Amino acid sequence: MASDEFEAEALRHLDALYRTALRMTRSEADAEDLVQETYIRAFRFRDQFTLGTNMKAWLFRILTNTFINTYRRKTAQPEVTDLEGIDEFSLYRRMADDRAASTSPDPEAELLNSVVDTEVTDALEELPEKFRTTVLLDVEGFSYKEIAEMLGIPIGTVMSRLHRGRKFLQKRLYDLARERGIAAVRTPQKS
Amino acid sequence: MDCNDCVERLYAFLDLELDEKELASVRAHVSGCDDCGDELGLEARFLDRLRDCCTSEKAPMQLRERVILKLRGANPPTT
Repeated sequence: MASDEFEAEALRHLDALYRTALRMTRSEADAEDLVQETYIRAFRFRDQFTLGTNMKAWLFRILTNTFINTYRRKTAQPEVTDLEGIDEFSLYRRMADDRAASTSPDPEAELLNSVVDTEVTDALEELPEKFRTTVLLDVEGFSYKEIAEMLGIPIGTVMSRLHRGRKFLQKRLYDLARERGIAAVRTPQKS
Repeated sequence: MDCNDCVERLYAFLDLELDEKELASVRAHVSGCDDCGDELGLEARFLDRLRDCCTSEKAPMQLRERVILKLRGANPPTT
């Protein structure tokens, strides 16, 4: 692939790489450095890119490796939680319990729309790093197999991290909605 | 397939990761079970919301410019 052709194709994925880097590092400056480093490496090793294969997946593999080798070490902190116990949380069950008392015609939409985008992304940033990275790669449309290869983990681990990560986010959104007292999840007042 | 089997497979179903046999089993169960159908609907809406929130951000313009400069600096055009 000619270098200008490679450059054009690689730059098509800049927004996706940046927003993922931003959530991974939780810092604009670090995200910009990480993305630049990713492009420099991609360009240096562009001969290893196989024409006709998925350029986005290839770039994300470089991004993820760079993050793990550089930034994860830099911000190394003990994983505070494996999100044990979160598996039991069921947004559906909680809402079913609340539904009887709710006056909302569409409690689910009300709950999901009651939180703004930044609250969702803030909740995402609270996720422990391994879960966060897995959820972010899923959001970008990669398959379980592709995520497993990028992170060097078994597919079963991808599935359990996605499951727990999503449950964690749902619990966060549910708790936020409750704090806000939206009708969909309002507990009936005792008189 | 019972409700527990179905709920266990909801994410794999929504992530398009089930093989054809399991896909058919989940579809068959959901078509006859309102509870699992509703749960599937809620999970689908949640995943849509999550995806919408996370995929709308753009990279800063100056980052785009810096990356282009780096790439061209690393390999100046030969023509």
